[in-house]
Amino acid sequence: MVGLFLVLIGRLYQLQILDYQTYNPLSKKNSIRREYVSPARGLIYDRNGNLLVDNEPIYTITITPEKYDTTKNHLLAKLLGVKISDLRQRIKKAEQYSWQRKSRLYTEVDFDTFSNIQENIWRLPGIGHIIESKRHYPTPIKAAHILGYLREVSQKTYLSSDQYQLGDKVGKSGLEQVYESYLRGKKGISYKLINAFGQELGPYDDGKLNKAPTKGANLYTTLDTKLQLFAEKLLKNKRGSVVAINPENGAILAMASSPEFDLSKLAGRLDHHYWAKINADTTSPLFDRAIAAQEPPGSTIKPLMALIALHLGVITPQTVINNPGYFYLGRRYGDHAPPGKYDVVKAIEKSSNTFFFTVMYKVASDGLFDKWHSLASDFGLGHLDYIDLPGERPGILPDSSYFNKRFGYRKWSIGDVINLGIGQGVMSATPLQMALVSAEIANNGYKIQPHIVRAIQKSNGTLLHTDPVKKKIPWVSQKNVNIVKEGMRRVVLKGTARWYANIKNIKIAGKTGTAQNPRGKDDAWFISFAPYKHPKIAMAVLIEHAGYGSQSAVPISALLIEKYLTGKVKRKWLLKKMLNFNPAKEKE
Amino acid sequence: MRKWYKDLDWIFILCWVALTIIGLAAIYSATQGPVSQFLPSYIQNNFYKQLLWVGISVVILIVVQFTAPRTFQQISYLFYAFCILLMISTLLFGISINGAKSWISIAGMHLQVSEIMKIGTIMAVANYLTSRRNISAEKLSSALIAVGIILLPVGLTILQNDTGTALVLLFLIPVMLFWSGLPRGISLFIISPAIIGYFSIIHWIWGLVATLVLTVMIFFIQKRTWLTIATLVMGIIIVSSVHVALFQILEQHQRARIEAFTNPSFDPHGAGWNVIQAKTAIGSGGLTGKGFLKGTQTQLRFLPEQWTDFIFCVIGEEFGFIGASIVIIIFLILLMRMLNVAGSHKHPFAQLVIVGISAIFFIHILINIGSAMALLPVIGIPLPFISYGGSAFMSSTFMLAICLNMELYHRDFSIFV
Repeated sequence: MVGLFLVLIGRLYQLQILDYQTYNPLSKKNSIRREYVSPARGLIYDRNGNLLVDNEPIYTITITPEKYDTTKNHLLAKLLGVKISDLRQRIKKAEQYSWQRKSRLYTEVDFDTFSNIQENIWRLPGIGHIIESKRHYPTPIKAAHILGYLREVSQKTYLSSDQYQLGDKVGKSGLEQVYESYLRGKKGISYKLINAFGQELGPYDDGKLNKAPTKGANLYTTLDTKLQLFAEKLLKNKRGSVVAINPENGAILAMASSPEFDLSKLAGRLDHHYWAKINADTTSPLFDRAIAAQEPPGSTIKPLMALIALHLGVITPQTVINNPGYFYLGRRYGDHAPPGKYDVVKAIEKSSNTFFFTVMYKVASDGLFDKWHSLASDFGLGHLDYIDLPGERPGILPDSSYFNKRFGYRKWSIGDVINLGIGQGVMSATPLQMALVSAEIANNGYKIQPHIVRAIQKSNGTLLHTDPVKKKIPWVSQKNVNIVKEGMRRVVLKGTARWYANIKNIKIAGKTGTAQNPRGKDDAWFISFAPYKHPKIAMAVLIEHAGYGSQSAVPISALLIEKYLTGKVKRKWLLKKMLNFNPAKEKE
Repeated sequence: MRKWYKDLDWIFILCWVALTIIGLAAIYSATQGPVSQFLPSYIQNNFYKQLLWVGISVVILIVVQFTAPRTFQQISYLFYAFCILLMISTLLFGISINGAKSWISIAGMHLQVSEIMKIGTIMAVANYLTSRRNISAEKLSSALIAVGIILLPVGLTILQNDTGTALVLLFLIPVMLFWSGLPRGISLFIISPAIIGYFSIIHWIWGLVATLVLTVMIFFIQKRTWLTIATLVMGIIIVSSVHVALFQILEQHQRARIEAFTNPSFDPHGAGWNVIQAKTAIGSGGLTGKGFLKGTQTQLRFLPEQWTDFIFCVIGEEFGFIGASIVIIIFLILLMRMLNVAGSHKHPFAQLVIVGISAIFFIHILINIGSAMALLPVIGIPLPFISYGGSAFMSSTFMLAICLNMELYHRDFSIFV
């Protein structure tokens, strides 16, 4: 007997003295729970300090079945405004999950219901609440492609990063994705004492070890809410996009892609019906046309063609080319411009294909095709321009090696090259790229960096400015750019844009274009800038299947420019016409 | 005449007071600690209920001292019969608590009849084995009758689904028969299945080793060939049947409980949970413990049944190695003193009763503390004087009171009647 008691004491010695280092940390780990405290996500403002994105509380009613008194079912159902059978079912589910732990009973109840419950909380033991937050969009603008949405972090992301826990929301598109690391802030940690059932018993060590979360940084964007709203309004019922840019610094003033989707339906608890609907939609609302639609630029390339040709010396301002109504190179290439003699300004004004076919022919036959490529590339074509949004596409700006690769070594002809002179054939550009071309002509040949966020304000107050500097494109001479701009101004005064863009008090310059579309009616382009002398806004508009640019893209641009520069629209009839304009319903 | 208090055994009384105070402190800590508001109210009341039981038990302790020791001998069969009747009525009308139908409700208080049954059994066996000169455990027929007296309540407790108490009663067989003259070899033979079984659960090789060692021991003690062969054969049967039972017959969850004891990490959230948490509680206590009401394992309810079956973990965690070993030493002193008293007592009935009681205490202490420290599978019986439980505390005190009484009147308790 004494022996057995010695065994007991020996075992006690082994556990408490020898193995103390094993068991003491175990007991600590057992009783303390480390909880992450999510910080408030950063806010997003427009250029005038108006709030575009903030956070809104979501009220969730919870239940701890162990403490809940089921005789209160009627009261609770009344307060929540739900059927008692539904309530019973949910309580049962919660009981199945855990008798002792909190379960979500009703998520996203409105504030009135929440406060009703709170007033009666003393009568409802076991009922509690969680306040979480979701993104909230206080303005009427959608800007879904720019702002972006949040989704629950993927397993891959949360496993590879120590910043996330399962269930965290992370930016999955737009600014939310690009500036995720700024917006999300830094998580806090709180240590809680828990019991074996996982119930919280209060802070550990009076919260001395807790770390407060750091709020996410706020973004100040370059967007003009009024212009953005107007652009979205004008694009309704149409497929297409608008990119408006400040030619002095590359700040995006408005950028709309239609059809849009509604971010507020993707915030908080995901509306699965809506998500499935926009994913299945054949008009692809999730596709950001402004930076990812790659279309042949058509005649909108002509001002840049002229600038390059003047620089290369292929033409001079005085060069006159005869247009017999077509261009002949093995076959006839048609020309909508009336026959006659054309200099470069007139060629832009009347959009003469013959003139620019001839120019491109000269470029190619002088062996300047690759030089042409590099000059056009300086204006942002054929490569990414690195706007601070995800999903940007580079477009296509061919050179000889591209053609060799695409068609086979020397298996392409001069016919493929001259098509590029009028922005057709194997060439494409995004609306953002064409807006940049327009802006860089407007600012007399300065390279600008397109951007949406101009400043980031960290939670401690420090401001990070992202204002990029403009850089002179060295080969662009003021003389040549003036000639091109004069041509663009004449497009509005006498050319294809004269019906809708010629406004008395605002001098607009621009160029229309038509992108041949194998799937249906041609897509309509218009690039523009205004005021002519000291441009404040440059723009590209692309409307899909709208036929001629002069009937759709031009009036939309003109209305937007007028709105931006004067704050109002005088031609109400035009506004009404354009709001009702629906390319899908137009007869050929 | 000597002063009465000089004959009173103060070691018994001091041990009883010390264990009761430690027990109350541990129950207080387990049920009234800083975060006790998260416990159901019926558990929060446990401390006060236990206080009440301590009060009742003190009265019993005193009243028993005014009883003549002969009375116990005279009423022993009657008491035994009364207990058996109570057991049967519990089976019919009893209340189930934690799966065992061993409780009866008397005037609003739940009473565990099997606790009193232990006293009845000890007294009846002691009375039978000392009633006549020609009755002795050395004679097979007398030994079998004594075993029968014990097996009847064992069967009833098993029917009540209270295997823990049944096991405790079974332990009376070798101890009381041995004291009454059963040869040592045969006593060892009787407890050898338990020892072999225990080692077989850990590993079949250990079971085999235990069988061989016991066989050799029994051979040298008894020098009877048939007993030696019987030990060997029985040992091998036990080792192989435990092995078969573990891997073929037992269901997964039943096996899990046994695996939990040999290998707690086998199922850390199921059966192994209790074992891991109990070891963690004791191990994290260290030398001096975390302090009264400061044991995190205890206060945060990581221990199951921490006021009864795992109360030793509370002591280990909050009072450390010093506190826990003091408890073991007090128990040791108490048991040594009881055996000492039994050995020096003139009356054989008194001797057997005290030995039987000390056997009961011993097996309770061994199993409770052993399973708290993961030396034995968790069987779930209280620690005498310390665990919460009114019936258990009262019956333990009653048993100690009888020992005290026997010692108090050891001069007057004549063997010549």
